[in-house]
Amino acid sequence: MKTNLTVSNITKIYPGCVANSNISLEFKSGKIYALLGENGAGKSTLVKILSGVIQPNEGEIILNNKIIKLNSPIDAKKNKIGMVFQHFNLFETLSVFENLIIDSNETRENLREKIISIMQKYNFSIDLDIPVLNLSAGQKQKVEIVRCLIRNPEVLIMDEPTSVLTEQETSELFSSLKQFSKEGILIIYITHKLKEVMSLCDEVAVMRRGKLVSVSKIIDEKIETLANKMVGQNLKTVKKKISKEGSTEQLIKISNLNFSSEDPFETNLENINFEVNRGECFGIAGISGNGQSELFQVLSGEIISENNSIKLNNYPIGNLNPQQRREYLMAFSPEDRMEQAAIPQMKIFENVALNNFKSSNFFNKGLINEKKIKQHSQKILSDFSVNTDNVELKSQFLSGGNLQKLIIGRELITSPELLICFNPTWGLDVGAINYIHETLIKINEQNKSIILISTDTDELLKLSDKISVIYKGKLSKKMNADEVTSEKLGILMGGGEFD
Amino acid sequence: MENLIKIIKRDQPSRAIFFLTPVLAIFLTLLAGGLIFYILGFKPFEALKFFFIVPIADMYGFSELLLKATPLCLIAIGLSFCFKSNNWNIGAEGQLTFGAIVSGGVALLFYNQEGFYILPIVILAGAIGGMLYASIPAILKTYFNTNEILVSLMLVYVSKLILDYLVVGPWSNPEGFNFPETRQFSDSARLPLLAEGLRIHAGIFLALASVVISWFIFYKTYLGFQMKVSGFSLKTAKYAGYKGKKMIILVFLISGACAGLAGVGEITGPIGQLHREVSPDYGFTAIIVAFLGRLNPVGIIFASLVVAITYLGAETAQIFMQIPKYTGQVFQGMILFFLLASDYLLFFKIKFIGSKK
Repeated sequence: MKTNLTVSNITKIYPGCVANSNISLEFKSGKIYALLGENGAGKSTLVKILSGVIQPNEGEIILNNKIIKLNSPIDAKKNKIGMVFQHFNLFETLSVFENLIIDSNETRENLREKIISIMQKYNFSIDLDIPVLNLSAGQKQKVEIVRCLIRNPEVLIMDEPTSVLTEQETSELFSSLKQFSKEGILIIYITHKLKEVMSLCDEVAVMRRGKLVSVSKIIDEKIETLANKMVGQNLKTVKKKISKEGSTEQLIKISNLNFSSEDPFETNLENINFEVNRGECFGIAGISGNGQSELFQVLSGEIISENNSIKLNNYPIGNLNPQQRREYLMAFSPEDRMEQAAIPQMKIFENVALNNFKSSNFFNKGLINEKKIKQHSQKILSDFSVNTDNVELKSQFLSGGNLQKLIIGRELITSPELLICFNPTWGLDVGAINYIHETLIKINEQNKSIILISTDTDELLKLSDKISVIYKGKLSKKMNADEVTSEKLGILMGGGEFD
Repeated sequence: MENLIKIIKRDQPSRAIFFLTPVLAIFLTLLAGGLIFYILGFKPFEALKFFFIVPIADMYGFSELLLKATPLCLIAIGLSFCFKSNNWNIGAEGQLTFGAIVSGGVALLFYNQEGFYILPIVILAGAIGGMLYASIPAILKTYFNTNEILVSLMLVYVSKLILDYLVVGPWSNPEGFNFPETRQFSDSARLPLLAEGLRIHAGIFLALASVVISWFIFYKTYLGFQMKVSGFSLKTAKYAGYKGKKMIILVFLISGACAGLAGVGEITGPIGQLHREVSPDYGFTAIIVAFLGRLNPVGIIFASLVVAITYLGAETAQIFMQIPKYTGQVFQGMILFFLLASDYLLFFKIKFIGSKK
């Protein structure tokens, strides 16, 4: 029997952000579909809608020509939609078998037989009676998959399943998925990894900023074309004027920088080397999840590194914390506006006080100098045209664009020599993007430097003087921005090479 | 029939509800308490009257209320330093006990001496004892990544056993017929009583001072600001460059000092000696007080008074109605339970809509 699943005109709106805008897609059993997009492109939202975790504002889900309502994950299970999330939902201290039967009302004996036969069929060899905490990541995932298979799913959705798997485990997963597909299970595979899409899937839908960008057959695509679709291939050539004389005075030098994380969801950084001159914007391109967040934290001092691996004006700063680095006139604008760069529940002036370099006198002898902070905040609000003049307003009432202006304003009011920003225009509307871009160009014109880590290729090509690509925690060689094309970047972002 | 009640997520937590839910929680506790009394075969209103009104109806009762509220308030103030900055110190009871041990030990050194200098030394010793004991979970958390909830909780039992050992062993009163208690402290080591015939002592001023100081620190200082930021988001605190480890240790020390002082009040006040039971779980109950008071110093004053009644009420109820005094703990548990439950209203509102057929 053929399964077909259609989502039609799905729209999901969160306050201040359209996560899914009028998405329509069709899936048929026997094929493996990729849903490709960066973090925040809206693919997780769509998946959550399909698994009943959240409900769309508009649109319908049609399974086998019947409209279905998914008001909870239970409804999804009833409709034979199975879901394996990126982060495992297993009880570590319970045995594999206990984990598998936890939400089932069949008898233990029946289930045991069923589970054993499923395991044999797909060549999964996992001891049912050992606690889950003794399993490898790949085995845990198999447990999750078996938990779906028990219910004879018609649709199986896999969300970023390979982020914690080894290469061996990944290839095992792929052969299982292909086998499921042959047996008629419809598979939707969510990822931002291009190579996986190319080797596993039959059709690919690309999402970007909440919208569906394209639907195509894998045989019609190449890694570069997909990369460009993901990050936007609008080849506008409105570049900033690159000063030909080019300052040669070096500001910051990163040499032999390494970072290895204990967290399997993080990316290790390997032997990063680059330098940035005064007045220069150094862009770092790449598909998200390739080490950008780790690199930002190492550069900002949230993660301390070997002291000599980062030198500002020839002075080693690798083991200084962010506050100390601010005294050396560095400034930082992190990717996550709501959870890191600012605290939405706090007032505007309190958020300004987060940038507490010494000469600001925000805090005097351990006391809060509220008057000073408020004056300063007032100046930021007017200088950076934030659309309020009330410094007592809670930051959660600012739109994304205005919050970002506030953050950039807060960081720049110290007149830093170097601004490090990570996806500064992510999720903003065009007006705010232009404003931020103009501000960044102005900084360069004042002979100050920028390190721009961004997953938006347009932005990088528009603003950078030099560009490198980060892939799996390694940085490509530095290229002049006017010699780079988005095709070349696309190849590097997908892990390819060119000469 | 469609559902009559709809639950809607609030765009932002409601400020008014923030201070109303504790009141609602108390109301629901009374309601549920009345129901329990009814099921047990008592007249609910009469029982509640015995529980909540009779104990504080006269001057003596009211002074007893303040006596019980004093340690609760002091400890809860200390705990709010930890809780505000995302540090879960559950072991105030242990810090109280250890503070009592250290200050009691010092007081025993002076048992046959008089002098104005003794009391300050004894008080200081209690604060230091509490700090030392609180520094254990803090240091283990910062340098070895242990879970402070477990460590601080388990240390409670350790401190109680140490106390037990001391009062039956080396520190027991040589003239005490082997009762598990120490000598009486000298009068110079005792916190002065505030009125003849009442047990309320000068410790209440320590509690009031802690309220004022903590209010100042929370809302006027850089430390308070850093605690606020860390409480909302550790990621932001890290990004701002706050010295996380230093702050963890500092808030634990403050919290330990407050609990230690509460311990001093217990032993140098009306009792005047160390014995097995220095505290009827004030250190645990203060966690409820801290949350009922919304981690706000003024709120904590009111919360400590409300919760203190449950201690008194339990005793009255035991005497007049032959109900076990553990009913007091049932009430404390219910307050916390209803508070946590009604906090749901902070983020969601309930809308009643007419039935559709």
